[in-house]
Amino acid sequence: MAFVAGQPVTAVVQRIEIRKLRHGDNLILGFSIGGGIDQDPAQNPYSEDKTDKGIYVTRVSEGGPAEVAGLQIGDKIMQVNGWDMTMVTHDQARKRLTKKNEDVVRLLVTRKSLQQAIRQSLH
Amino acid sequence: MEQSPCSQTSKTMQEPQELVEETVTVEEDPGTPTSHVSVVTSDDGTIRRTETKVTKVVKTVTTRTVRQVPLGPDGLPAEGSSPAGSCTDSIDRRYMKNGDRYITPQANSTLTRAYNNYPDACENRHEMYRSYTGQDGFTDVSDNYGSLSRGVHYRPRYAYMPRDNYRLDESYTLLNRNKYAVAQPQVQPDGSVDLNRSQPERFQPEPYGLEDDHRSLGPDDDGYELDGEPEPDYSTVGRRAPTRANGRRSRRGYDDPIEAEIIEDRIPYLTGVYNAPLAQPERGSMASLDRLGRRSPSIDSIRKDPRWRDPDLPEVIAMLGHHLDPVKSNAAAYLQHLCYENDKIKKEVRQLKGIPVLVGLLDHPKPDVHRRACGALRNISYGKDHDSKVAIKNCDGIPALVRLLRKTNDMEVRELITGTLWNLSSYEPLKIVIINHGLQTLTNEVIIPHSGWENEPNEDSKPRDAEWTTVFKNTSGCLRNVSSDGSDARRRLRECEGLVDALLHALQSAVGKKDMDRKSVENCVCIMRNLSYQVHREVPGADKFREPAADQTGTGNSQKKKKDDSGCFGGKKAKGKRNVDADKNFDTLDLPKRIEPVKGYELLYQPDVVRLYLSLLTESRNYNTLEAAAGALQNLSAGQWTWSSYIRSTVRKEKGLPILVELLRSDSDKVVRAVAIALRNLSVDGRNKDLIGNYAMHDLVSNLTGGQQRPAKNLEEDTIVAILNTIHEIITDSSSNARSLIQAQGIEKLVAINKSSQSVREMKAAAHVLQTVWSYKELRNALHKDGWNKSHFQPNVTTLPKGSKSSGKATGYDDSTLPLIERNQKDGNKWPGEMIPMEQFGPDTYSTLDQREKERKCKTSDVSGDAFERQPLRNDTNKRNINRINRASVNLVDAHDTKPQPVDSWV
Repeated sequence: MAFVAGQPVTAVVQRIEIRKLRHGDNLILGFSIGGGIDQDPAQNPYSEDKTDKGIYVTRVSEGGPAEVAGLQIGDKIMQVNGWDMTMVTHDQARKRLTKKNEDVVRLLVTRKSLQQAIRQSLH
Repeated sequence: MEQSPCSQTSKTMQEPQELVEETVTVEEDPGTPTSHVSVVTSDDGTIRRTETKVTKVVKTVTTRTVRQVPLGPDGLPAEGSSPAGSCTDSIDRRYMKNGDRYITPQANSTLTRAYNNYPDACENRHEMYRSYTGQDGFTDVSDNYGSLSRGVHYRPRYAYMPRDNYRLDESYTLLNRNKYAVAQPQVQPDGSVDLNRSQPERFQPEPYGLEDDHRSLGPDDDGYELDGEPEPDYSTVGRRAPTRANGRRSRRGYDDPIEAEIIEDRIPYLTGVYNAPLAQPERGSMASLDRLGRRSPSIDSIRKDPRWRDPDLPEVIAMLGHHLDPVKSNAAAYLQHLCYENDKIKKEVRQLKGIPVLVGLLDHPKPDVHRRACGALRNISYGKDHDSKVAIKNCDGIPALVRLLRKTNDMEVRELITGTLWNLSSYEPLKIVIINHGLQTLTNEVIIPHSGWENEPNEDSKPRDAEWTTVFKNTSGCLRNVSSDGSDARRRLRECEGLVDALLHALQSAVGKKDMDRKSVENCVCIMRNLSYQVHREVPGADKFREPAADQTGTGNSQKKKKDDSGCFGGKKAKGKRNVDADKNFDTLDLPKRIEPVKGYELLYQPDVVRLYLSLLTESRNYNTLEAAAGALQNLSAGQWTWSSYIRSTVRKEKGLPILVELLRSDSDKVVRAVAIALRNLSVDGRNKDLIGNYAMHDLVSNLTGGQQRPAKNLEEDTIVAILNTIHEIITDSSSNARSLIQAQGIEKLVAINKSSQSVREMKAAAHVLQTVWSYKELRNALHKDGWNKSHFQPNVTTLPKGSKSSGKATGYDDSTLPLIERNQKDGNKWPGEMIPMEQFGPDTYSTLDQREKERKCKTSDVSGDAFERQPLRNDTNKRNINRINRASVNLVDAHDTKPQPVDSWV
């Protein structure tokens, strides 16, 4: 997943569509994110490249919408509804995911197992 | 997990493998008589002379085939290989003895020799039989036997066997007769099936004759090896011990019957002999055999008695001090023959104080004398009877052997010396003596020159390849054994100038030539593995490379850690974080630049060796070598110092993980176990852990027994436990690896093991894994979907308590694999003193030593070898776990102090 800023990123991604769940006044997705260009990437346990400042899924609530949709801990979020998530601050990512006027978010995520599956099949 | 050297490997050394033929001239016959010598060409192509004494018997020469190999080690043990080989050998022999056995080719071989002997020879042989009662009896016998077997060892036995034997083997007799009748000279002619068979065999590989001698050696070997496992190898480590216990017995089982017979036979015989040995037998001198023609058997007879008889044992020993050198050498050769595979004779030689005399002859200027003396000592030193070994040591035999090694250029003598030392090295207390007196000499005289390594290579000369001589094999076997003698021995070997360099050179040469299956290579790898054990503690200046984390042990506690965990990346992962950081360091770590070339023991842990071991793991088909190479990686990746970090990441970068994973499918239990433990150590590196979790899980799981299906191979309990612990290791702090476990259908097998395994240790280890899986709340949904519920993840209540007790009783090593919880409980009991040092560092635990022979001794099972290794592991593991926890907490603290916590937002 190493990449160079300004250069296109090639990754194997999975499309995940999450329907938000209304929880009182809030719409929730049922997962939490970490990372962002304003965070210390070295502390991200999920990234392979420890300089990767991308947004990662850090927790998924049991039985929540994200889990149902197949999101997994450690997934790296590449896009949210078409918006790039590889070069955003933590807060920008959070806001992009929590738009009150959107009931559904479509994510493009990548994860090690996907990468490896491909790599394996290429060998 | 480092594996210590196994003496394992080393100890076992004796192998059946090669037989060396030696011709021993056994007895001298008295008489000056004129003898007719007939020359027979045997199939082998060797020419044998048979002397027939008409009037007098000249000499009896016995040709024995000695197997050098077995000896090498004490016979003991060459753990693996030897057994097999030895077994065969012994069996064959036995076969031969009994008429029945003839069938076996080997038997035939013997026959052939017999052929060689003429009828006359036969007669002579009969004489040999000596005790045989009377000539008359003999006569008959002789016909039947045809001198055959006797050539070598057999005779004595045969002699005893008497008629029954003869008769029993009808075929036997017939054959013999035929042979005689047909072509004495040539064996083949008869066309008797048996003969034919035998002939080819005999000659080819090993001359039987040789075997005798060798066998003498061999037997021991057999004992050792045989005992052990059927498998050939022997890993470096501990096996031997186990082997002995089991293997030997079993083999013995084999042998026993036969031997028993023999012994019985002999006894009468012997008695007879002592009383009045030989008179008759000698007539035909068997001798004539020197194959190589090296020896001329004839000796002046000591007595002119009209009737010849074999000398009895006291007489033979007395002859060692005879003023005529040929008498000395023949007496020694005869002793070698008598001692072959005969513990009773060895004991008698010892009691008659023959050993100091033989040792004294080592310094004799005449090559024939010291050679034969050395041959006798080699046979005497072989076997499980350590008293003979001690007797050799007590009269300063070890320095005498080493002295002779420095002095002689005779290859045969060097083989005998190193074979004897190999035998001696199998006995624990002698290891340090060998190191003290012989390490540098063995290295300078044998290892370095035969390895092709040159300290200061001449620019003009090409790098040389190793020469895989018997001397090198014996010597490397000896060093393999002594390398397992604990930390002092390891230090001595590491610091022995040129040793590590030469061994590595030899191994690299083997890899370069794709010649990686031989015993010498196995020995070298085993030595390397042993020397790699605990390098991170034992190497001078190791402290400088210690990773800081080690020092943090003890700080923090788990509770604190939990709270702190809630960083933006989530609690569970906090632990993982430590690994992550570490990984990052590894990846960015540049290996230290060296100005001076690396040499000596530093070579042991340079990342360069990873490629060597991986090549061996890829190419070798020798299970012992595979196990040792995996063990070496295991040892090097254990420990908490900078070098082990390099090794862990180098294995990954050299694409070693797939090679290791591939070996999880090996048919060898030991290989699977060593690889599993190595993977566990390697997964200390976070990226390795991710990769191993993704790629190895399926193969790990498929080695487990579970549900209805049993795995194709039947793995030992220790191996299963090792695999379970490895799985536990890689799912710890990694829910994605735990998910891989679920996807690999591992839960079903784990639940089955937890519920119904016959082994308490397996049950505990499985329970531990299950508990860890269950602790990932995010996985529970998936688990529920598969039909599992919490009760499946609980330890099997009924068995556990019992288990812990039983484990306690079991030898310490069991624990190694156990999950932390149990370990903690057990910690108190189990680790014996040796372990202590290791404990200081968590990570170390991993290392496995072969060495633990001592511990092994206590153990009965074959496992012991492994056990050794395991113990260390266990300790390590325990500590390591503790450390990990501590570190994690420490890290968290650090994070707070120094940097902002990462943000984690729910959406």
